[in-house]
Amino acid sequence: MLASEIASLLPRMRRFARSLTFHREDADDLVQVAMERALGRSEQWTPGTRLDSWIFRIMKNAWIDEVRSRARRDELFVPEEAGEQVGDDFAQAHQQRLAIQKAVSLLSEEHRLVVGLVLVDGLAYKDAAEVLEIPIGTLTSRLARAREALQQILSDQTKARP
Amino acid sequence: MNYDDDTLMAYADGELDPAMRAEIARAIAQDPRLGAAVARHQALRQDVFAAFAGTLEEPVPARLQPPAGARVHDLAAARSARTQEQAPARRQERGGWPLWTQWGGMAASLAVGVLAGALGSGWFGGGDALLAHGPAGEPLAGARLAEALDRQLAQDGEQGQVRVGLSFVSQEGGYCRTFETGGSSGLACREGHAWRVPVLADTPAQAGAYRQAAAQLPPAVLDAVDARIAGTTLDAAAEQAARARDWQPASGGRR
Repeated sequence: MLASEIASLLPRMRRFARSLTFHREDADDLVQVAMERALGRSEQWTPGTRLDSWIFRIMKNAWIDEVRSRARRDELFVPEEAGEQVGDDFAQAHQQRLAIQKAVSLLSEEHRLVVGLVLVDGLAYKDAAEVLEIPIGTLTSRLARAREALQQILSDQTKARP
Repeated sequence: MNYDDDTLMAYADGELDPAMRAEIARAIAQDPRLGAAVARHQALRQDVFAAFAGTLEEPVPARLQPPAGARVHDLAAARSARTQEQAPARRQERGGWPLWTQWGGMAASLAVGVLAGALGSGWFGGGDALLAHGPAGEPLAGARLAEALDRQLAQDGEQGQVRVGLSFVSQEGGYCRTFETGGSSGLACREGHAWRVPVLADTPAQAGAYRQAAAQLPPAVLDAVDARIAGTTLDAAAEQAARARDWQPASGGRR
């Protein structure tokens, strides 16, 4: 049954959504809208093709057409996390993860999409290009530029730290 | 010879065809700067992957589960549903879907991350390498490891530097076996007459001399086992029977 197969992708859908928007509520809204669209047009999925690619493409389109415009774009700053005093190493690792999530959120939309599909979800270039409906050469150069931009943001973050 | 950054990135990501991959590997051996560039790409990839990996462990909110009763057509309704759901603090229980749907996804992604780390670290390579690439670039057991997986039983202990640990039948009906060799541990699953290796990680350092079959396996490997196993691990008799069938699925049904 398609619905349960899509449901098994929910953790990956949520993770991809989190790479597109820093706010977990906006991310889950995107997942919900994409889930609705997928179930509403399940006849458009061709059995035998990759369900994850199809779902990610729906998410990409939903993000571009609908959710992005409604998501809160004004809160760019990472909320202070409280109560994470499990230990210095833990806190440090947590801070690093947050810093990277924030850096990803500062990338351009195009760059976030390729980073989310390839680096976060682990799709092969070919599959990511198919999700984004672009040639693989475009995907490759876009991913390289996105990595440069991310590297730059991370190094600026490090410099800005006291 | 110079290679552009796109090519080195594709190498780091395991995206080059075998001929180009071999060429870059030779170039790296001669030019440490190329190796450093590849390592930077791999490190960034691992950091980004790790930053988001935790999302897979979070319980999926009930409002995202299909078909969640009333259909939601706009975000205002979605937000309102969320507000109501979150009212009684943060729910700890997972939604109505089985645990494996969440752990399975996590383990699969972990395996990607772990293997991404394996690229270029010497696990792949020449004739005696631990892993070889299959026709579609998928990681397969190299000749020496495959031979051990074909022949060795858990009770044999370490032979030819390979120790085979747990064996079990996967949810897809095929056999999978964990192994340990030279400081690395992994999981191999039979596909036809090859052993596909979905996960490989460094074996954690041993505390004391006492070890159990599963105790020394790294968490990534244990997660991969949990994600795949149907039923329990094979006992010695079942292991021998499976070996006698050349690790092909038992006839008369998938399980």
